[in-house]
Amino acid sequence: MIRIVQRFAFSAAHVLARGDWPAERNRAVYGKCANPAGHGHNYGVEVAVEGEVDAGSGRILPEGRLEELVRTRVLDELDQTLLNRDVPAFASTVPTAENIARHIWDTLDGHLAPARLVAIRLVETRNNSVEYAGGGAV
Amino acid sequence: MDFSASHRGADGKVTGHNYELEVTISGPVSPETGMVLDLKELKDVMEREVEARFDHRSLTDDTPWFKDRPATPENFAAVIFELLEKALPAGTLYRVRLHPTPDVYVEVTR
Repeated sequence: MIRIVQRFAFSAAHVLARGDWPAERNRAVYGKCANPAGHGHNYGVEVAVEGEVDAGSGRILPEGRLEELVRTRVLDELDQTLLNRDVPAFASTVPTAENIARHIWDTLDGHLAPARLVAIRLVETRNNSVEYAGGGAV
Repeated sequence: MDFSASHRGADGKVTGHNYELEVTISGPVSPETGMVLDLKELKDVMEREVEARFDHRSLTDDTPWFKDRPATPENFAAVIFELLEKALPAGTLYRVRLHPTPDVYVEVTR
């Protein structure tokens, strides 16, 4: 079994605040990240897949397949957006790093045959990242 | 460890990479030395088994491992794992990570 980890990047803005909470509570839970003006990040996404190496091609996925899938399913949706407003998955879900990682997992999982998705690592800043390996709870 | 190598594809085109190799070993810490393995020994093995064989060479033309299989990152990482596993003390090689470019790596784990 061989694992490939490929890193991608996108930039997006977000506001960490729940619409069903008063401003004071959002402020208490999310701090400055709750500022209504929003703020942005240069996100890194590391996609880890595992699979058997095809004897003919020597690859676990056809050349370019992972890049194409991540570009069309993930980056095209998230890059240069205000996540809360522009991405349906975050209309009523707070776009925390945890929830973004889980959304990317849900978007890619099941589309990588004959390989399989094993982890998504979302790098929000150089000092924090989140890793999700499926299974529900982050 | 960093090294550079080229390879020829099925279409005859030649390309090359600056490869970065990360090797992880695991095992009990020797009560005598306080180490799992002397890093000097690991470095010597990596230089002998990997750098001397592949650095500034063509994987497909200058080495015997890619005559019947393409020199993809997956196959190259598997070859490196096998070479290091044979050369290191039994059971110590845990993981090999081969980065053909800075944004991607292939990982083989024991």
